[in-house]
Amino acid sequence: MKKLNITNGMLVAMIVNMIYVKAIGVTQGVLARQIGQDMWIATLLGTLQGIGILYITHLAMRRTPDLDMIALGDRLLGKGFGTVVALLIFLFFLAAIGPVMITFVYHLQDYFLPEAPLSLFIVCALLVGALGCFYGLEVIARLALIGCAFIFLLNVLIVIGSFEEFDIRNLLPVLEQGLPRTLAASLHFDVDCALASMMAALVLPMLKSPQKEGGKVGMLGIATSGLMVIIWSILEGAVLSAEVTSRYTISCMKLARNAHIGEFLQRYEMIMIALYSISALFQVMFCLYGVSVCTARILRLKSIRPVILPCCLMLGTLGYWIVKDHFRAIVYLERYWPWVALPIGFGLPLVMLGLRLLMGRRLKGEAAAQR
Amino acid sequence: MSEADAIVRWGKLLLAAGVLLLGSSCVGVRQINELAIVTAVGLDVGKKPNTVRLSAQIIRPADARGQTGAPSGGTGEPIYSVETEGASIFDAIRNLGRFSSRRVYWAHNFLIVMHEDYARQGIQDMVDFFTRNHELRMNTWVAVTPDSPAELISTITGLEVVPGEAVDSLFRSNHVAGLAPGSNMRNLEESFLSVSTEPILAKLMLRPRGISNKKPEEQGSLEQVELGGAAVFKEGKMLGWLTPMESRALLMFREKLASGIETLPCPGDQDRRLTMEFKDARMDVDPGYSKGDIHYRIRVKMDASIVESGCAKSIASIREEAEALLAAQVKKRIERVVERAQREYRSDFLKLGEVFRNSYPVEWRGMSGHWSEVFSEAETKVEVSVRVNSAVLKAEGTGVR
Repeated sequence: MKKLNITNGMLVAMIVNMIYVKAIGVTQGVLARQIGQDMWIATLLGTLQGIGILYITHLAMRRTPDLDMIALGDRLLGKGFGTVVALLIFLFFLAAIGPVMITFVYHLQDYFLPEAPLSLFIVCALLVGALGCFYGLEVIARLALIGCAFIFLLNVLIVIGSFEEFDIRNLLPVLEQGLPRTLAASLHFDVDCALASMMAALVLPMLKSPQKEGGKVGMLGIATSGLMVIIWSILEGAVLSAEVTSRYTISCMKLARNAHIGEFLQRYEMIMIALYSISALFQVMFCLYGVSVCTARILRLKSIRPVILPCCLMLGTLGYWIVKDHFRAIVYLERYWPWVALPIGFGLPLVMLGLRLLMGRRLKGEAAAQR
Repeated sequence: MSEADAIVRWGKLLLAAGVLLLGSSCVGVRQINELAIVTAVGLDVGKKPNTVRLSAQIIRPADARGQTGAPSGGTGEPIYSVETEGASIFDAIRNLGRFSSRRVYWAHNFLIVMHEDYARQGIQDMVDFFTRNHELRMNTWVAVTPDSPAELISTITGLEVVPGEAVDSLFRSNHVAGLAPGSNMRNLEESFLSVSTEPILAKLMLRPRGISNKKPEEQGSLEQVELGGAAVFKEGKMLGWLTPMESRALLMFREKLASGIETLPCPGDQDRRLTMEFKDARMDVDPGYSKGDIHYRIRVKMDASIVESGCAKSIASIREEAEALLAAQVKKRIERVVERAQREYRSDFLKLGEVFRNSYPVEWRGMSGHWSEVFSEAETKVEVSVRVNSAVLKAEGTGVR
């Protein structure tokens, strides 16, 4: 059977799409509530930590370049442990549907279609997601490439549209709350990076040469995402002010509503949201893919196709329940989701690296025996 | 390809087309001919206690397009103005639906104008409503008026047939006169939520400035909307007014004041006048802190041109005196607005708290809770330097009068 391959560019695009969607608005609102105008510094610190965790993920997997993290678990401590790893990643992507749907639905429903039923957004997103999963990772990765190009356009539009109101005094004083609090706040951006690290845990082996380039490409993906997101956090702080940013669930839409190019072109957030939607749909798609892959592995199925529909139902129900109540959504986003995302997204690669170091000889022996 | 495969393919294509057509259909659709497009809103205190009176200027697209007058089928009235009351702004808007034949649509609103009495009661409700509403633009202009808001938003001003659009143009060309802040929803929300800066809003009023073409002898018989001055706020409530000239000084603190004119007596001749236009006014505010006392050094630098001279002497010979006169005038205006902010209103609408916070974040923490008291005691020192560097088209030099 031909091995499924994704290019280095596709992986970078996937990481950018995975982080960017939530980080430019929802995360910046959370950061502004915690540390005010220093949200861009927290984003920068989070990016550096994200680069670190992607490298750790790569280190954990590079000696067995053909194995994803679940298969690596199987190899390290047997099938039982592999199932535990699959369960953890399953739990991660299941819980991730909360913030992913919050981002997708609140952008579209609150700002453009307030009278449309919530179920419409959930069903549409999952339908597109299911279609992507059905056709496989290569299709998802290609969509990410398009999404990445749109993200670039979106950033260009927002910079042009906001530049006139840019007031650098709104970003001062720097580190007003101190470095420790800014570092603590950066955990909210780490949560977004955790999405990328768990994605890498599943897709790194699909690179053409993961052993050589997996780490480099992964780190480049996080750095690019950080760069794309910091543009928004600086603009939101300088144009809107931290106080205003902190008042909104989707603060990037607040900035987008302010944007105008000269006097003639105003209210072009509809164009921006069209560019943004590809990335938002990619996130939903990958959450569904992650849950489906883990379910198939737990049930020892060869293909993910039979489990796509049940996984859709699961994600749809949970997503609907979270998004239905704005208060519940914010509590989930700020309190519960980080407690799932960080231990799994950052903890699992660390544990796997530790195990790999401890059991390196066994892995080597098995590899030699297989040869 | 077999026939069965072809049927399956066509079936898939039809299914996809069906999904596209149905999926992207009419959820939440609002046709343009079903909308009542609001271009200006007035807010006032209601007749009953604890109520809001809301007036809305709604555009009649058929009558507003092209020229004034009644196109076929039109009424000749480019706007339809209505007024309603409610327990809250939202309630008043919903009450509009009782008699408006079309659904009210806010996305093209140019202006929100509040009556002075409404603003004095507090604007928290208004800021919250108009920023919570997803339809509204954040660059909608916001102003306060001592006149009736309903009358103001229905008064045709300038060349535009839609009053809201006319006021929008007034604000856009505001930098020419520079006598009122360009207050919009975005900067109002920013200063309203700020811990250090108080909001300031532009003042609009009705003045008999227009001359009727039919009765030109009745000069000033037509009321026009005039933009000049500002309303000062503290803790969300309006405290009072600034004059247009005080507002010009205020703009140096809050916005980039591109230019402005000052008319001064000629040096050595009080009966004649010299008009100077300043450009590129640049203000630096340096805060200082020692032993619990705050002081500010406010420095202004500007270039100026002589744009009108009735002086008997040559411009070259009075240049330095003209510079000193303009500097003294600007300094007086700045000191006046600082004085009113500190002593009369005790409201930091000059963004001095923000400047202090940016330079002394640690000290700021101890003062942010009672900043208005600390601010009113701060010392200020104003320095203005002017350089007259042009007499526009006229040659100026020794021997030229």
